[in-house]
Amino acid sequence: MILVRQAYLTLLTLLIIGVVALAPGCIGTTGADDYPAWNLTLAGDQEQVLTHPELRALPAVEGYGYSVSTVGIKYGPNRFRGVLLADLVEMAGGAGGDDLIYVSAEDGYLWVFDTDQVNGEGFFTFNEDLKEVTPPPLRVILAYDQDGKPLAYEDGGPLRLVIITENPDVITEGSSWVKWVDRIEVHKK
Amino acid sequence: MNRSAVLVVLVLAVLATSAGCTGTSPEQTILTVIPAGSLLYPLENIEAAFESQHPEIDVRIEGHGSIQAIRQVTDLEREVDVVAVADASLIPDMMYRLMGEGGSNYTDWYVAFAGNEVVIAYTNKSAGADEITQENWYQVLACPDVRVGFSNPMLDACGYRALMVTALAEEYYGESGLFEAIIGSSFDPPLTVTRADGIRKITLPERMRPADEKVAIRDGSIYLLSLLDAGGIDYAFEYRSVAEEHGLRWIDLPPQINLGSAEHADDYQKVHVTLGFRRFQSIGSERVGQPIVYAITIPANAPHPDEARMFVDFVLEAFQEGRPGWPAPETATVYHATG
Repeated sequence: MILVRQAYLTLLTLLIIGVVALAPGCIGTTGADDYPAWNLTLAGDQEQVLTHPELRALPAVEGYGYSVSTVGIKYGPNRFRGVLLADLVEMAGGAGGDDLIYVSAEDGYLWVFDTDQVNGEGFFTFNEDLKEVTPPPLRVILAYDQDGKPLAYEDGGPLRLVIITENPDVITEGSSWVKWVDRIEVHKK
Repeated sequence: MNRSAVLVVLVLAVLATSAGCTGTSPEQTILTVIPAGSLLYPLENIEAAFESQHPEIDVRIEGHGSIQAIRQVTDLEREVDVVAVADASLIPDMMYRLMGEGGSNYTDWYVAFAGNEVVIAYTNKSAGADEITQENWYQVLACPDVRVGFSNPMLDACGYRALMVTALAEEYYGESGLFEAIIGSSFDPPLTVTRADGIRKITLPERMRPADEKVAIRDGSIYLLSLLDAGGIDYAFEYRSVAEEHGLRWIDLPPQINLGSAEHADDYQKVHVTLGFRRFQSIGSERVGQPIVYAITIPANAPHPDEARMFVDFVLEAFQEGRPGWPAPETATVYHATG
């Protein structure tokens, strides 16, 4: 009887460990204190490094983001929250009209924005049928939350460049949506 | 709740949780195939035929630009079963290197299996559609009020190939200033072709943003075709297979300039495009003119190499027959890493 009970307890323990181990992988929750150790370097007239909590403490904006890849695969729409790229450029010392903003990522990816784009202009937008539509007001943010949760690594988190609008049906070109951003650099012309 | 009930609940919880994580049918092998955009149409056709013969395999096709397709394996370390690209040279350049210390290369081989060429695609609505011919196409495109489109050279090989074709045309037709008239003068400062040591070189700015409406640049082929259909441009530089797939009219270009002929490889190599910035650390920003050759490989860390081999064989067989709207069949040739 004692052996049976011990076997039962062992099995129960293993099952509880199994549930605990598997559940987080599926649910993907992250506590407020569990933000990843991920720094963002801002480089321009001055250089500074922001930690993830420091970035989250900056004024934030929200909107819908919906992107499409170069071959037409659509991602979204989702609700994103983050810091305006324009604000981060200002923190790096600002940019003149002809300057360019280099946004680079942990995986070695780089994309370059002009100052019009930093302010949400000069992008092409599409409807659900991928026909071009007149762009509504757009904002470019460095997003850290997607649908109320920290941006997952597989979605380009912890920090991803995202173009947001007030309208969930507006699709933007995914080439600007740099994943895993770790550096924003102003190149003077 | 008695002990048995607790056990049952926990067993169900484990099963439910693990099933939610994997989300796959245990009977089927999922084969991840990453092709270049211009291979999406044929591979989606092939996928259906392959799966009907092999119901135990679920082929998942995920299109990307050729460089991004390879980066899924190399830089992003994803486990992919098959990679197929629109520029065979990218495989040795980007995959003949070690996966990790002491490991093997990402791959040591590829099969070249199809080709393509650049054409000038248009519709009945295009300005000059009634007059354009194989002989005068460059004169029509050079007209100031004729709008021309190509995909972003930073994102799509067809984009920098459009620039190469135009530079080759300038030489072939002996029309000095043709590149500027069709493309270059629509940028501020203008894009030019410089010549040194027999090489014609086009250096691009960081931002490919035309200064007027004569030239339009979009991220990829599908957006260019949409613009062509809507009348936003009159002509687009496209692959022949893409123009055919979408039922467009097109002008075939001479083999000396269309990047579709192995015989003219030496001439093509005399045109270089330097991109405005290095988008990926894993590949440089210089592109050299070459015949357009499609290639396929199985990464060394493919999770299902046997099924991947079956699929590659199936693709090669299908391509030998060829179909309208597919890149043109070429004799499948296997290349191995040397040394």
